[in-house]
Amino acid sequence: MKRNDYLYLDHAATTPMRESALEAFKNAEEFAYANSAGGHELSRRAKNLLEESRDFIASYFGAAPSEITFTSGGTEADNWVIKAPFINSKNSQNLVTSKIEHEAVLASAEWLETQGQEVNYASCNKDGQVDINEFLDKCNKDTAIASLMYANNETGVVQQIEKIAKEVKIKNSDILFHSDVVQAVSSEKLDFHKLGIDSAAVSGHKIGGPKGIGIMFLSSKYKLPNYFHGGKQELEKRAGTVNVSGVAGLAAALKEHQDNFDNEKKRILQEREIFENELKNALEIKIVGEKINRLCHISNIQFKSVNSETLMVALDLKGLGVSRGSACASGAQKPSHVLVAMNVPDIDVNSHLRFSFGWNTKEGDGKYASEIVINTVKEIL
Amino acid sequence: MRILVAMSGGVDSSVVAGLLKSQGHDVIGVTMKLWEGPNGEMPETGCCTAADSEDARKVAAKLDIPYYVLDYTASFSENVIDNFVDMYSQGLTPNPCVECNRSVKFDHFIDQAKKLNCEKVATGHYAKIVRSNNSLELHKADYLEKDQSYVLHMLTADKLPKIDFPLGTISKPEVRQIAASLGLKTAFKKDSQDICFVGKKDYRNFVSSRIDFSSSGDIVDKDDNIIGTHEGVHEFTVGQRKGIPGGQGQPKYVTKIDVENNKVFIGSKADLTTKNFIIEDVSFVNGEEYENLSIQTRYNSHDIPCKLKKIDSSTYEIELDQATLGVAPGQFGVIYNDTKLIGGGRISSKILENVNE
Repeated sequence: MKRNDYLYLDHAATTPMRESALEAFKNAEEFAYANSAGGHELSRRAKNLLEESRDFIASYFGAAPSEITFTSGGTEADNWVIKAPFINSKNSQNLVTSKIEHEAVLASAEWLETQGQEVNYASCNKDGQVDINEFLDKCNKDTAIASLMYANNETGVVQQIEKIAKEVKIKNSDILFHSDVVQAVSSEKLDFHKLGIDSAAVSGHKIGGPKGIGIMFLSSKYKLPNYFHGGKQELEKRAGTVNVSGVAGLAAALKEHQDNFDNEKKRILQEREIFENELKNALEIKIVGEKINRLCHISNIQFKSVNSETLMVALDLKGLGVSRGSACASGAQKPSHVLVAMNVPDIDVNSHLRFSFGWNTKEGDGKYASEIVINTVKEIL
Repeated sequence: MRILVAMSGGVDSSVVAGLLKSQGHDVIGVTMKLWEGPNGEMPETGCCTAADSEDARKVAAKLDIPYYVLDYTASFSENVIDNFVDMYSQGLTPNPCVECNRSVKFDHFIDQAKKLNCEKVATGHYAKIVRSNNSLELHKADYLEKDQSYVLHMLTADKLPKIDFPLGTISKPEVRQIAASLGLKTAFKKDSQDICFVGKKDYRNFVSSRIDFSSSGDIVDKDDNIIGTHEGVHEFTVGQRKGIPGGQGQPKYVTKIDVENNKVFIGSKADLTTKNFIIEDVSFVNGEEYENLSIQTRYNSHDIPCKLKKIDSSTYEIELDQATLGVAPGQFGVIYNDTKLIGGGRISSKILENVNE
C-alpha cells in the first residue's frame, strides 16, 4: 500500500531508523564489512568500529565495555538471562518475575516451567504497577533470578526499579536482578549500575536504530553460561559473526538520541498531552496510568463501548497506524495479558488501543491524530 | 463503492476480491479467525488455517488491497462449537456451516462492514441475488454443481441489499481461470471439504474431548429388543451404517437416537424413509410461499417436491411427495421454488417420530 500522508503512532512496536543510524549502517557495510574476528586490515577496521561503538554504548548506560554483549535484539538478551542459568541446573533454584512482562521474558519463564523449574509471578494493581511487597515476598534464598521490566511496553507504566533492585539484594544478595529496559530507553536516561540492575535487555530498533541488533548488559560481578554455541566471537560469550553494521547503527542512533533527548522528549510529551486532552474533551475514555509515572511516548486508551479491533482497522483505513495487544503470526491480535493482569473487566479489555509517539513525531501530529480518532470513534459508536 | 470481502484463502473468495477490484471498487479483504488452538494460534488443519490466511494475505498484496485478520473466535465458539457439541449430545446431526453463517458470519460481518464505512459485504459463496420487481431474491447459483444457497437460507430480504455474491453467475472452472489470469496463487488450490474446527480428525473425538459421553447404553431394534451396546450416543447419527452390530442378511442403519433413555435404534433401510417431518426456527427470505415447492434435506442433496403446512410462526410441517431416505434431525430443510430460495428451518427430532410411518 502506498500512502503519503500516513501517520505512524506505533513507535513502541518499532521506530523508523534515524538518519545518522542509516548512514552509519551503510558506511559500515561499505567500508567495514569484513568479519570483525578476522586477521587482516579490513577485519581490523570492522573490529575497531565495533569496539568504538561498544565504548560509546557502554558509557551511555554507565557500564564498562566488557559488560556489553551484542545480541540479535532484546528478545535474545531476555532469553539468555532468563533461561541460561537454569539449563542443567541440578539445584532447586527459582525465578521471580511479574505477570506483565514482555513475552520475551514471560514465554521464557513459561518454558522454564515446562522444564520443571519453579517460577513465581507477582501481580500488579489496577494501574499496572507491580506489587513491590508481593514481588519481594516471592524472592527467597533459592531465587536465582528476579526479573522485572523497567516500564511496560503496552501501558508505558514505569516500575520502581531502583527501589525494588535494592530491596531484592537486601533479601538475598546472590539474586541476579534482571530488567527488560527495551521500551524505556527511548524516553528515560538509564544508568544501569546506579539503578542497581545486574543485567538488562536493550533493543536497537526501538530507539531509531536498526532491527536485528540488541544488547545484553551483564554486570561484571556475574557470569552466565553461553546461550549460543559456535565460534568464539563477542569476547567468547556469544557465537555468531558480529553484526558490526547493526552495532554501528545502534551507536549512531543512541548518539543522536542523546544529543536531542530534551527537545524530543519535550515535543513528544506536548503532542501526547494535546492528543489526550482533545480525546478527553470529545469522547468517553480512560487513560491507563494517567495519574502515575509512565513513559512519555505511550498512551494506552480505553474507549468506552468501542471494539478496538474494529477501531484499529478503521483508523488504518484513514491513515493512522496504531496497535492493540501483541500481534500474532496471523495478524489477528489477542486481548492483552497486561490488561488482564490489571483486572480490566472482560467487557473493556477489547476496548483499548495503544498510541505511541517517537523521535520523528512532528508538532501537530497529536492534534491531527486526535481529529482522526474522534471522528472515527463517533462513526463506529 | 467500498466493499468488505470475506477472504478464506481459497480460490473462490480470492476471485471475488479480484473481480470487485477490477470493477473499480474500493475493496478491503478480511479473514475471519474463527477457531484457534490453546495459545491463540490458528489451526494447522481443516480450513481457516494459518496457511490459508497467509494465502489470503498474499492474494490481497497481489491485488494491492488492505487486508486484516479479525478475531471472531468468541462468537464462533459460543454459537457454533458449543452448539455442535450440544446437538450431538442430543442425538442430532448438526450443520456447523449453516450455524456459522447464521449467527457469526453475516450478522457480525455486516455490522463490522457498516462501521468501516463499507456499503456491502461480499463472499465467495455460489448463490445469486436477483432483483425481481421491487425486491431482492436469493437464488441458486447458475453453476448448480457448486450451489451453496442451502447454507445461506437464513438470510432475509432486508440483508440482501448489503450482500454481494459475485460468483452466482460463474462456474468453478471459470473461477479458476480468472484466478489464473489475475496471477493469484490460489488459482489451483484444492477446495476444502472438512468441518473447519474438526479438520481431518473424526468429529467423534472432537465431541468426546469436550463432553463426557462415556455412559454406555443399548442398541435396540424398533421393537426395543436389545441387539448390542454402544459407548455413547454421540458416536451415532441417523442414517449411519458403519459400526452397527448384526446386519446378517440386510444392512442395518441408525434410525433414531433416544438421548433421554440412552438408546440407539437401528433398523432396515425402509425404516429410515420419511415422508412427513417438522422444521423449526423457520425463516423466509421474502415471506411464506406455498406453491410449487421442493426441499433439500441436506447440503447439495437433490430437490424433493413437497407441501408446506404452517403450525405456528416458526414451526412448519413438510409433506414430501415421495418418502425419502436420510432426513436427519438437526440438519436443515431448505425450501425452493425452482431456483428461488423460499426459506428453511432445522429438522426437528421430537415430532419426527409421530409423523413417521
